[in-house]
Parts: sequence; structure tokens; C-alpha cells
Amino acid sequence: MQTPSIITMQSLSKFYEMGDQTVRALDSINLDFRKNDYTAIMGPSGSGKSTLMNILGCLDTPTSGIYELNGQDVATMDDDELARIRNKEIGFVFQTFNLLPRLNCLRNVELPLIYAGVAPEEREERASKALINVGLGDRIKHKPAELSGGQIQRVAIARALINNPSIILADEPTGNLDTTTSHDIMNIFGKLSEAGNTIILITHEEDIAHYTRRMIRLRDGKIESDVRR
Amino acid sequence: MKLTNRQFRYETGESLKMALFQIRANKIRSFLTALGVIIGIVAITMMGTAINGIDRGFDKSLAMLGYDVIYVQKSSWSTMGQWWRYRNRPDIKTAYAEQINRIITENPRSELAIAVPQSSTYQASAKYRDRNLEQVFALGTNHNYLQTAPGELSSGRFFTAGEAASDEMVCVVGDDIASSLFPNEPVLGKSVQLKNRKFRVIGIFRKQGKFLGLFSFDNQIIVPLGAFERVYGKNMFSSIRVKMKEQTHVIEAKEELLGLMRRIRRIVPGKEEDFSINEQRAFKSQLDPIKNGIALAGIFITGMSLFVGAIGIMNITFVSVKERTREIGLRKALGARQQTILMQFLIESVMICLIGGVIGLGITFFITFSIGQLFPSLPIHFSFDLVFASLAVSVITGVVSGLAPAISASKLDPADSLRYE
Repeated sequence: MQTPSIITMQSLSKFYEMGDQTVRALDSINLDFRKNDYTAIMGPSGSGKSTLMNILGCLDTPTSGIYELNGQDVATMDDDELARIRNKEIGFVFQTFNLLPRLNCLRNVELPLIYAGVAPEEREERASKALINVGLGDRIKHKPAELSGGQIQRVAIARALINNPSIILADEPTGNLDTTTSHDIMNIFGKLSEAGNTIILITHEEDIAHYTRRMIRLRDGKIESDVRR
Repeated sequence: MKLTNRQFRYETGESLKMALFQIRANKIRSFLTALGVIIGIVAITMMGTAINGIDRGFDKSLAMLGYDVIYVQKSSWSTMGQWWRYRNRPDIKTAYAEQINRIITENPRSELAIAVPQSSTYQASAKYRDRNLEQVFALGTNHNYLQTAPGELSSGRFFTAGEAASDEMVCVVGDDIASSLFPNEPVLGKSVQLKNRKFRVIGIFRKQGKFLGLFSFDNQIIVPLGAFERVYGKNMFSSIRVKMKEQTHVIEAKEELLGLMRRIRRIVPGKEEDFSINEQRAFKSQLDPIKNGIALAGIFITGMSLFVGAIGIMNITFVSVKERTREIGLRKALGARQQTILMQFLIESVMICLIGGVIGLGITFFITFSIGQLFPSLPIHFSFDLVFASLAVSVITGVVSGLAPAISASKLDPADSLRYE
């Protein structure tokens, strides 16, 4: 039985003008992500995976082509609409964690809820629940500087999940972590996938990619291979 | 998508918190940034306080002249210093008061209540035994004087109609006269000698203070007009004080008095009058250019210091935007709209300016308070209008200086700023 598509990309291209050259960062790719897909996007640098990640995350819009996220045409949206989509539909996890250093874990995690217009009491409740879910119930009032790298990334995962997004978009989430911690983080992603989340992972590490169930390889802006396991 | 009210409230709350975080995290930088605004606000409020003080001091002095009294005199107050223009005018006769009173009592619709004559000299000397006071202001008038002049008696009484009519040798003295001529002894019933005549003291004025810091009402001796003329002759400086019925009908009252005086002086229509009708407002018009000059210079100086302050804030906000490029990218990735980011940086610069404004106000308050304590006679007044004005100026400075950096922050590309190192 085919699960419905969350993301549909059709002949999607992104070109950059560099001087008088046109760089084809993404060259009319077709992609489809279904609900509960657990995907790794791989490729050497310059293959277009960052560009794809930006477009998937609605941080950037394609030059041409169709991008539908949850049935909404994202390619033609303006900045504020994209901001709303990022807020509601996408949970970001970054290689560099990107927590605000002056805020404690709770305040970091509730940030997306502020932009979603959720009341303070509910924000606090949901953020602490999310932190408990990633095993940081005892670190709620700690600041990022007081946590280890793995703990920080777990805070970031809690933040990504807080608004129940349609997809979780993780950009080299283990890039700054040691092997053991990486393994822990990947286990969390595994559990999230088992719980029904749709996860897209961008990585250049084969062994990290092997945690997933689908591997997409990019080269020169085109899809080289797309393998489901 | 329309921004909901609630969303706006929460985002603004978040921005306020972040602004406080930011200011607290960079205390020295924030303080140096705010310094420009602090200096500007101190300049503004000090200037405002000074102008207020001048105004109030002046009003207090003018109140001594009486708001409801106009004067018939030889020369005009509003062109003081041009005495030669009035040199050839005939003197004002004290008898005019009688004539004016006769006319206004016959006219029930008159705007004028009563006219009181006065003759005076600034050069009188007052003696009691071996004590001698020079440069005393001696004034001859009638029993209605108090209706046209402020001032209460602290003891004794004013002279009566009978005493005035019979040129009784009695006097009412100012507080300074009483205390200098009769230190430590009862004053009433004693005799003050003006030239070679003795006047019995029947009343003492309560202390009134100086008029424009120049002329003291406490340095006066008031005697019946006939008695004054007996001592100083008839050719002293005379004028008529006229009380209005309605303080607000100054123009009508002046018109009426002008007509009356022309009739009394028999000036044919079309000919310029040879007397002047004065009121305390004439002083005010003399003061206005001075006040405006101070205000203009002050606005220029404060404008400059605020401008410099604003540039400092703009500069530091640009730096802050640069430093926090990744934070901006992250916030956008998490759902912050352009407007959200714009507001965040605007609120930050406005808050720095407001804090600067409050500190500036505090400094001014302290300075004016200290000056007020050290020199109680200076008419310094710290008004609440100034508080509002300077806080408003602070906010405007914050918006003006924060706008450009805030716009640049809001327009940052989220993907690029997330990768900014």
C-alpha cells in the first residue's frame, strides 16, 4: 500500500549566477518523499545537497519547477508565507546545533512556539515535555554552555519536534559529534522514525546514512541514485 | 497571512526579553551607546528647565504688577529704552484718576472698575533716628491703592479715605524697610522721616520679593498722595493704575481707557496720543525673543548631541546585526518573519535609547535639585511635560537610529545567514 506523498518535487532546478557563468546547483530533479520516509541525502561537496536542503527547508525557493509540501505549492510563496511553513511544517536540526547561548534549554525549545503564537503556559508545558522526551528532563534550566555536544543536539531535536512538523530536516546532525554520541543521536532519529515521523538527513558519512531506509545520492545537481531498503 | 494579535504580543514580549538580555550581556557597550542619548536628554531637559524657570520667574514677577491692572503712563513699556520718543510728551496728571472714575461710574457697561493715581520716586531716603535708608521707593496714592496692587499687610492697616483726603502724614512700609529701620523693636506708631517730614507707620506689608530680580516691593513706603506731594512736589513721576472688571477683556479695557484718555486730553481724532496704556503683557513680549533665542540655541545643541548619539546607536546596531547573523538565520528558520526580526532590532535600539533617556532625566533631576538647594532664589522648575517630551525624543531617536540596521537584518537571507561564520 502506497502511503501519501508529503513532498513532491518535479523538474525542480536552482541556478546561481556566478559572474557570467550559470551554476546549475540543482538540475531539474524529480523527488518524492512519503510519510514516514527515513531518507539520507548524500553526495560530495558541490553536488547540490546544501541547495536541496535549503529548498526542502523552505529557506530558499527554486528557480523553476514544482515543490509541493503537504499539498501546498511552496515554490511561489513569499517570505512571510515561507516563514509560516518553516514554523509549522519543518523541524530543523543543524550540524552546529544553533542554540541561542544566552537562553536556557526550555527557552530555546519554545522559540518556534513563540512565532506560532502559542500562549506562555502552553509553551512551557510543551517545551518541557519535549525535553523530557529526549532524556533531558533534568537539564531544563541549563544553558547550552553547561551541556555536552550530544545533549545540545538533543535539545535541538526537541526544538525541531516541538511544533509537530511534517518533516524533520537534519543537516549533518552528527558532523560535530564523536562516534559514540553520533550513535546515540542516530538512535533518537531511529526512534522518531519508528514513531511515524518523516526524516530527511543530509550527510556525507556512509555509516550515518546506513541508519536510514532510503539513500539518495546527488552528483552535479542531479540524482545519481535513489535506493530504498 | 495575517499576523494575529496574540502572535504579535508574544513576539513583542520575546523581543523585549531578548533586548534586555542583549543589553545586559553587553553592559559596557550598551552604556557607551546610550551615552550619546544621555547627554542629549540632559541637554534637552536642562534647556527646558531653564526656559521653564525663566517663564515662571517672569510670571511670578508679573503677578506682582497685577494681572487685572493696566497703567496710563507717559511712555510705553514695550519700547523701553527709547525714552527720547516720549520726552516731549506732557506728564500724566494724578487728577486724571478722578476724571476717569467719574466717567466709568456713569457707564455701567464699562470694562474698567476703578482708577487710582500714583506718584513715585526711586530716590527717596528714609530716616529713623540715626538709621538712614537710601534709594527707597516712595509712592503717593489714595486709599484705593490696594484694589489695584497685590500685597497684604502683615500688621496694621492701610490708610483710610479720610486720611487720604486730608493728606494725613501716615505711611505703610514694605517688609525690608520695617526690618532695617526698626530692627528688634515694634514698628507700628513709630515715625519714618522722608526728607524733613515725619510719617507715622500704620501698616507693614508682607514680604513680596523682587520684580524681575531688579526692583523690590519690600523696599517701598506708601503715603497719601497729598502728603507725598507736600514732600516731593507735584512734578514727580506719575501714572494712573486702572483695574479691569474682567481680567480676560484686556483688549476691550485698553480700547476704552485709550478713548477716555483721549477725551480727557482732548486729542483730536487722527492725531497720535501723547500717553501710553501699559499692561504686564508688554513685558512678556520683550522677553519672548530672548526666550526663543535660548530655545533655538538649545534645540541646535541638543539636536547635535542627539544626532551624534543616534549615529552611535545606528553603528552599534549594525555591528550587532552582523554579529548575530546566525541568530537571525536561525530565528527565520524557526519561523520568524521579516517583521519579527525588524521589531526585535528596533525594540533593542529603542530600549537602549529609553534607558539612556531615563538616566539622562535622572541626571537632570539631580542637577536641578542640587541647584535648587544651593540657590533657592533661582526659579528652576522641573516639569513633567519635560519628562514626557524627553522620553518621546528617546523613543524617536531609537526608531530613527535602529531602523536602517533593523531593515537590513530583516532582509537577510535565512540560508546564507545560517552558514555565516
